[in-house]
Parts: sequence; structure tokens; C-alpha cells
Amino acid sequence: MTELTISTLPAAPLHVFEIWSNPATVAKRFEATCGFALPHMGRSDGSDALRLIRFEPTVWLVEGDASALSAILSDDGAVTAIGGGIVRIRLSGKGWRTLLMEGGVFDAESPTFAAGCSAATIIDHVNVRLHVVDETTCVAFVPLSFSQGLLHFWEQAAGSLVE
Amino acid sequence: MINFRFDGKVYTAQAGDTLAAALLRNGIGLVGRSFKYHRPRGIMTAGIEEPNALVTVGEGGRAEPNTRATDVFVYEGLVAKSQNRWPNLSFDVGAALGLAAPALSAGFYYKTFFGSAKKWMFYEYFIRKAAGLGNAPTLTDPDRFSQRAAFCDVLVVGAGPAGMQAALDAAEGGKRVILVEQDHILAPSLLRDSQEQDAAWANATAARIRAAGGIILTRTTASGYWEHDLVTLTQRISEPGQVPTHDVAQRLWHVRAGQVILATGSIERPMAFAHNDRPGVMLSQAVRTYVRRFGVVPGKRVVIATNNDDAYKSAEALKDAGAQIAAILDARPAPAGANSGHRVYNNAVPLSTQGARHCLKSVQALVDGKTMDWDADLLAVSGGFTPVVHLHMQAGGTLDWNEDAQAFIPVSSRQNVTTIGGAAEPQAIFKMVPVSSPKKSFIDFQNDVTLADVDLAWAEGYRSVEHLKRYTTLGMATDQGKLSNMAALGRLAQKQGVAIPEAGLTTFRPPYTPVTMGLIAGAGAKDAGAHIRRLALYELHAAKNPIWQPLGYWFRPRAYPISGESLAQAALREAKAVRNNVGMTDVSTLAKFEVSGPDAAAFLDIICATTISKLAVGRGRYTFMLREDGIVFDDGTVWRLDENRYLLTSSTGGADRMATHISYVRQFLCPHLRVSAVNVQEHYAGIAIAGPQAKAVLTALIGAEPPRHMSTVPAAIAGVPVIILAASYSGERAFEIYVDASQAEAVWVACESEVFAQGGTLYGLEAMEFLRIEKGHLVVGGEVDGRMTPHDLALDKMLNKAGGYIGASGLSRPALSETGRRQLVGLEAIAGDIPEGAMLIPSEGASPQGHVSAAAFRIVTGGSVALGQLTEGFSRHGEILIASSPTRGQQARVRVVAPHFYDAAGERYRD
Repeated sequence: MTELTISTLPAAPLHVFEIWSNPATVAKRFEATCGFALPHMGRSDGSDALRLIRFEPTVWLVEGDASALSAILSDDGAVTAIGGGIVRIRLSGKGWRTLLMEGGVFDAESPTFAAGCSAATIIDHVNVRLHVVDETTCVAFVPLSFSQGLLHFWEQAAGSLVE
Repeated sequence: MINFRFDGKVYTAQAGDTLAAALLRNGIGLVGRSFKYHRPRGIMTAGIEEPNALVTVGEGGRAEPNTRATDVFVYEGLVAKSQNRWPNLSFDVGAALGLAAPALSAGFYYKTFFGSAKKWMFYEYFIRKAAGLGNAPTLTDPDRFSQRAAFCDVLVVGAGPAGMQAALDAAEGGKRVILVEQDHILAPSLLRDSQEQDAAWANATAARIRAAGGIILTRTTASGYWEHDLVTLTQRISEPGQVPTHDVAQRLWHVRAGQVILATGSIERPMAFAHNDRPGVMLSQAVRTYVRRFGVVPGKRVVIATNNDDAYKSAEALKDAGAQIAAILDARPAPAGANSGHRVYNNAVPLSTQGARHCLKSVQALVDGKTMDWDADLLAVSGGFTPVVHLHMQAGGTLDWNEDAQAFIPVSSRQNVTTIGGAAEPQAIFKMVPVSSPKKSFIDFQNDVTLADVDLAWAEGYRSVEHLKRYTTLGMATDQGKLSNMAALGRLAQKQGVAIPEAGLTTFRPPYTPVTMGLIAGAGAKDAGAHIRRLALYELHAAKNPIWQPLGYWFRPRAYPISGESLAQAALREAKAVRNNVGMTDVSTLAKFEVSGPDAAAFLDIICATTISKLAVGRGRYTFMLREDGIVFDDGTVWRLDENRYLLTSSTGGADRMATHISYVRQFLCPHLRVSAVNVQEHYAGIAIAGPQAKAVLTALIGAEPPRHMSTVPAAIAGVPVIILAASYSGERAFEIYVDASQAEAVWVACESEVFAQGGTLYGLEAMEFLRIEKGHLVVGGEVDGRMTPHDLALDKMLNKAGGYIGASGLSRPALSETGRRQLVGLEAIAGDIPEGAMLIPSEGASPQGHVSAAAFRIVTGGSVALGQLTEGFSRHGEILIASSPTRGQQARVRVVAPHFYDAAGERYRD
């Protein structure tokens, strides 16, 4: 069988970070405060303490401590908590790419979908956001209400993945 | 050796045998019965085009009817059963239908089954009894079916020598390549015909493709070609009826390819002559395949009929295998075949065959105008070759007529698809015209369509090939024109006196070969095609064993019965508790949007049809939203949580639609606004506490005075931060508590404890429905049904007088203020219970003037009440109508009243 472990991560604060004006200025303030640049579209950056994953042109998903972000945004954007509605599922092992093709529509097997990349896609009818941690790890952000169903789907699918 | 069963008898096969090969190996000539006339049929081909040898493979829920015996590889324990016969294959009572063949000609259904609807009800029974070949299994399919996406630069369909070479070139050129082959081995044609390449070449090439990163899928058929070079592949992971090794029986691939190369080859054509469907009449290449690939010789004394050179290879193969070539009937004039070393008859075409149910006995032919006969147990025919252009046509490709090959060949396509190999360059053949009697000259073997049927259709005025197809059922079922098309087109062209391309060509549609329904359903086949959405507090509810109610994809508690209560008893008890004391329920599924920013109020003034911008911090109000055309499409509440932060709630059922609407307004209509509108439907779990004692419960929970009606405060319950909204759907003093869903359990437990301490109870959707109907509150999908304006729902007084909201312009359309519109009313039963969904009529037999959108009982005092929509309803209060539901056989006399049956003044909201 293909090497793959599926595990649910503990609940954690997640926020939406949205900019509506002065994006360049906000980006400078962000980099000065957080020590890394706002990631580009389809990319993520940061550390376990604070990671931003860009899914829309003006919207980032924030994982970790978001306490400094409101001040950075000032009147140029807003931070909104969404963590209660999202379950993080970690896919570990080299089979994660194949697993994501099951019921998927997104090219998770592309070599360009590498560490630091992100995507918003549909898997088996469920809207899922993906973050590639490294070559053998991907974290999926799944709506809470669908998480049990998708977890079951993935566990079944994983059982039929053959090298 | 491998053991398998056919019609209950055990046989043995060799590894790699198809079921067809194994049956021939065991001397079985009769494999099935034809659809209409129950004529005995054997094995005609060696591929997916097989029209005759359709069998049911597998048992129980795993049984697969109409499986082509040529497309299933034998495994240990395979169970196959012949179809469309009774009591057995050899003696089939249905064969008597053959005597009635003159009455069952083309258009039989249309000429016979007509008349009134009542007659159709009578005909239906017999039509259904006669329809189909095999029986669909009645048990649940135990297998799973997977659907998987794949992306590649080059998809090559067909792993013959041309396809493999193309795949190798692309893979070694650095492309991401997928190569698919419907057989279980690569380049199977190399086993039939020795060429420059051989099996060793195929193996080496496959290894190089894989080494270059290419993916090779065997037992995989490209079944559909869709827009944007999306190709669906059907992969058999286990054989039909076989228990899958890794749980999944089949996989449906959705391949998005940069380029598609079709190396699909061609299919050999049969010839049209009398009794050409008899067991023992086979296609020439199929015969050669059985001889050389499977080591099975289907006949000892063979006649070969051909119009091309390819059939001579079959003669060689048969001769090498020890068979006797009685004659080669070559339709071409001499000297075709002169140097073959066989007894060749030029200008020779078969006229008819004779035989028994299980075998062929003799062949009759017309040779240079004279009739000749040969004893033979096998007739191998080759009427030319039809390129497999199905996928090319599905891709929107065009075809050209190749006169030499008498075939359509692929030309251009609007998609990035190329055809190579035999499908692009079919062999040249000699043009033939059938000379035999058309009555038993079958051109569509599966549907028992003869040349005579085509002639009849022509005589009855069918000129278009598309009409001809439907009138005669030609090319339907698994054949899809593979074998039947060219013969029919040739006959039609002959009748019209035109060339075949002028006669036209039917359209090839997906799937190329049959696809099982389970595969289309995929993993969702077992749960109605979709995941169930679970509440954040699902486990807590489940522990109380509620009656669950599907609501969209959600499952919500409908009621919490105790002590054997029925749904109605439980719901009434729960509703009474809310009216008299206190109850709590889960409202987590409501749509919720957090709207932030300096322009949040301006944004909400556009989304909502009521005034939002004047709302004070800490206050909320009921609101509703319109479509552009002025029709109400959702409702909810808006709460000003902070100076620049609002919470908008709307209906559960409309949540996704509202999210799309808000996103559209934000991104397309209002990109200039400084606002963020985030969907927090699932972030917040929601708990509603309602009833005269709700305030006391809240006071105990938060240790402070709860907010007054339509006010909001932040608070903490069980140490967890919450937002409390004082809003009521039930008509009682009520509160909604919103909490981060990941922390909701502690809050629910605390609330439940306090509610129970007050003598209250949990309530579900059914009680909630009773409560809101009695109060006259709307529900989206019920009273708000996509046709009602704010005026129709008596909401017009709440409209934002400044306008500017979406739908404001649409509302001014004259049609929306004309008389005769349906309007919201209440209905009180005078006698009987009001049936939900009933039509409202003034008297028996009169036309409906409205309908009942929701019905319930007065919770405390009893009696049936309802909400409904009635033409000019506002002005008809006091009128007596009949609520009639013919489908339920129920009706009640009702009085039209105002749509508020409980506390119309709203006194109970207030402290």
C-alpha cells in the first residue's frame, strides 16, 4: 500500500486577513512587523507561530497568533476569526498527492505544487484549502460540517491506493 | 488452469483467456440469444465491439449483466450466465418470436402501441417485460468505485505499436504522459500479427515510458471526450463479478490533457448476407486473434469471405494451426489472392449459411453469378475496416470520406487531438453491395436489425440517417454503431442513389463502451452522492437519539422523543414547553456573515432591503434581501456588534446562495467599498433558548441582565466567550447564543443544564415549525418561494425608503404592483385539519386561487392553522375557502385570517 497517514490536528485559531486599500503600504507594515513578506497568490509563508496562506487576491488565511494583524491593517483591512468552522487534516507520507487526486479536480501531482504552495479546490464536492508543508506533508483545511465525511472518504480511498 | 462456470457447468480456461476464448476453447458455440427474435448467437469478434456474446458475469450484487464475453478475462471462480432465454440457452421458448418476425419489423412499437393513455398502461407491462437482455441485480453492489483526476501533457489512447511509440517519444521528450489500453496487455495486435515489433519490443517500450515518468493504464477505456480536452477513462481494477483485491472495483479517471493522441485502430466489418448471425460466423481478424493469441482454433473446416488482403493472414494462421481452408471467397476480381496458395474464388460473395443452434454446417456463395456451396464449421468474414473515430467526433472533430477504404477518417478538431495509426490510415478494400436476401441479412446483430428493416424504413419515408437509426433501433445499446453503422449507411446511400458521405453519419456520443452506473456515482453511490453535513454538536444530539431531519445536506434533530413518543407527540410537547416555560435548540446551520470595515453599513444597505446604517451599536433588526428583479429571496437579522462590525444572519437553506450573492456584490458591484464580508456560518455554533423563562435561564448563565429584545451583548458562558442576540423566531422571549464552534460543547452543556433546571426541554425542527407558523414568521422555501415581493409578504413597510438596495429598481416594475397577485394570509380550520401543500379553492371543482405553504396546530389551545398564498389575500380576510389536497385525499374548510395566530402585538418579546 502507498505510505500515507491521515490525522486531524487540534483546533486552533484561524483568521481571515483581508486588505481593501493601500495594499503596498500594508505589505510593508506587515513585513516590518512579522519579519516576512505577505505571500503571493497560491503561496504561503511564515512559521508555526504565524503562517499566512494566500487564497484570494486580497485575502489570506492566517494560522497561528493573529494578535498583531489588526494593528498592521489599521483601516486598510480587517481580521475575522473563522477557526471554529475549519478542521485541519494533516496528510503525511508520499501518497498524499495521489490521495488528493481522488475525487479531486486539482493537479496535486504537479511537481510545481511544492512546499510553500497553497490551493483552494474541491475534493469529492467539498471545498478544501491545501497547504503544502513539505514534500511528504500537506495540510488540508476542511469545513467542520464536512470534515467527518471527507475524513471517511480519505481513509477509504487511502486503503485502495497501491504503489 | 482456471476454473469457471457457464450456465452452471464447470469449465477450464488458460491464464489470459477472455471468457470468449475460454468458451471457444471448450467447444461452446452457442453463447446467447438475440434481443428481438431470440436467434441463437455465438462469438463474432475478439474485442469490445462484440454484439452477440453478451452474458451476465458475477453473482448477487456484484452481477454485471450484458458483459461482452470478449471483454472479460477469466479468473478462478468466474460465474457467467447466458441471457434472454427461457428455460435454457439451447431450448428457448422465446425463439418462437422468430416466427413472428414479419410482424416485428422496424417501427413495430410505433405501429402497435398507440392509443389512449389507458392503453399505454396496458402496453407498458409487456414492453417492460420484453425490454433489455440481462437482468440488473436487485442486491446492493458491495464494491466501491473511485473517481480520480489526472493531468498530463500528452494522453495516448491505445497501446498498439503506433500509440506506444507516440507515448515513448512524448515521455522521453520530457512530457507528462498517460498511455491507456483497454486490453490487459500492451500491443495485443502484435500477438495476432507479427510485425517489425514484437512482444519484447512492447515490454521494452513500456519500461522506457515508465522510466521517463509516464503512466500506463491497462484495462482502461477512454469512454468519453469532453470540452477542453477532458477525457474520461474507465479503468477495470477487477474483472466483472470479481472480488476486488484493494476494495475498489473500477476507477473513473478525469484526465485533463494538453494534447490527446488517438491510436484507437479500426474495427473489422462484417458482411451482410442471409443468416450471417449464425454461431460459427466470425470476423476474420477475430479468428486470427483466437488462433495466434489464445491458441484456440474456432473451426476445423473454414470458408473465408473477404474484400481485402487482410483476411489472407487469417487463412495462413488457420492453416498453420491445422485447420482446412475450404475456400476463400474474394469479392475482388482476379487476380486478387491468386498467389496465396489457397483455393480462391474471385467475384465471390456469401449468400447464406446453414447450421444448427450451436454451429455452422455449410456456406452458400455467389461466385461469378453462380451459386456454390461448401461444408464448413467456420465462416471468417472481412468486409473492410472502420476506423474508431468515436472519440475524435466526441471532441468535435470532423471526418472525411476515404474512398479506397470505404470509410470515414478523422480530419480536424477544435480540440488538441490527433489520430494516428490504423484509425487514420485504414486499409484499402473493394466496394461491395449486398446481393443476398435482405430479410435475414443482419446489419445490427444486437438489435436484430436487417437490411430489410432499412428498406422498410426507407419505403415508409425515413430519409435522414438519424431518423432511420431511431426508427429501426440501429446502432443502439453496446454497439453504438461500431459494427452496424457502415452497412446501414451503405444501404441508405444505395436507396438514395448517392455516395455514403452524402447519406450522412450518425453522431457518436459518450460513452464509447458501457460504463456501470456505480462508476458514475463514484464514492457517493452509497450515500446519495453527497456527504452529510454534521452539526458541530452532532455527538451531543446523537446521544439523545433524536429523529433526524435532512435539511439540504445538513442533518438536524427534528424532535427528541421520550418514552416512546411519536414525532407529533414529541414535537407538541417540545413546543408547549417553549410556550409555557423554556426550551433550547441548535440553530448552528443558519447562514452567518461577519461584515467589517468603515463601509460595512453602506455595504449592508445594498445587500439588505431594510435600513441598516441607522442601527445603533448593540442593536439588531429583522431584514430581508431581494433579487435584482425585486423578489424576496432570503431573510434574517442584522446586528451591529461594534462601530464597524456587523453580524448578518440568513436562512439555512439559502446559505450558499447568500454567500455567492454577497461575494458577487462585494467583488463586482462594490469593489470600491472598504469592507470585508466573511462567511462565518460554520465558525459560530448557535444555540437558541426560547420561552417565558428564557430570560431567567440567560441571567443564570451569564450572571447579568440579558439584552432586551433585538439587542446584543458579548458575554461568557462556562468561561467561553459568546455573542448573545435577543431575537425570537418562536414568538417568545428568546436568545440566540453564538460561540466558536470548537468550544460550543461546553456552552451547550451549561445551557442544557440551566434549561433543565428550569424544567425546560430541548426542541427540534418540528416544534420550531409549529412555533413559527403560529407566530406567522416566514420561512425561505415556504412562504418565500421566489415569487413573492415585499408587498406580497406584507413587508413593504420595512423597505428602506432611501432605496439603493439591490432589487429597488426591480420593485418598481408595474407587474409587481398589479392586482391579482398572490399575498400572504393566515388560514384557520373550520372543520378538519389543513393539509400542507393543499390548493385553496372557493368551491368544489373551482380553479385554485392559492395554496397552503405551511400548516400546524395551535400549540396550547389546539386547532389547525396554516399560512398560505392567496390571490388578493389581504382583502379576503373572513372568507371561507376549501383547502384541498387531491393527492392526499384530504381537505378542510378554512377561514382566511391575518397570518398571526399568536401574540400579534409582540407583547411576549418584551420583559
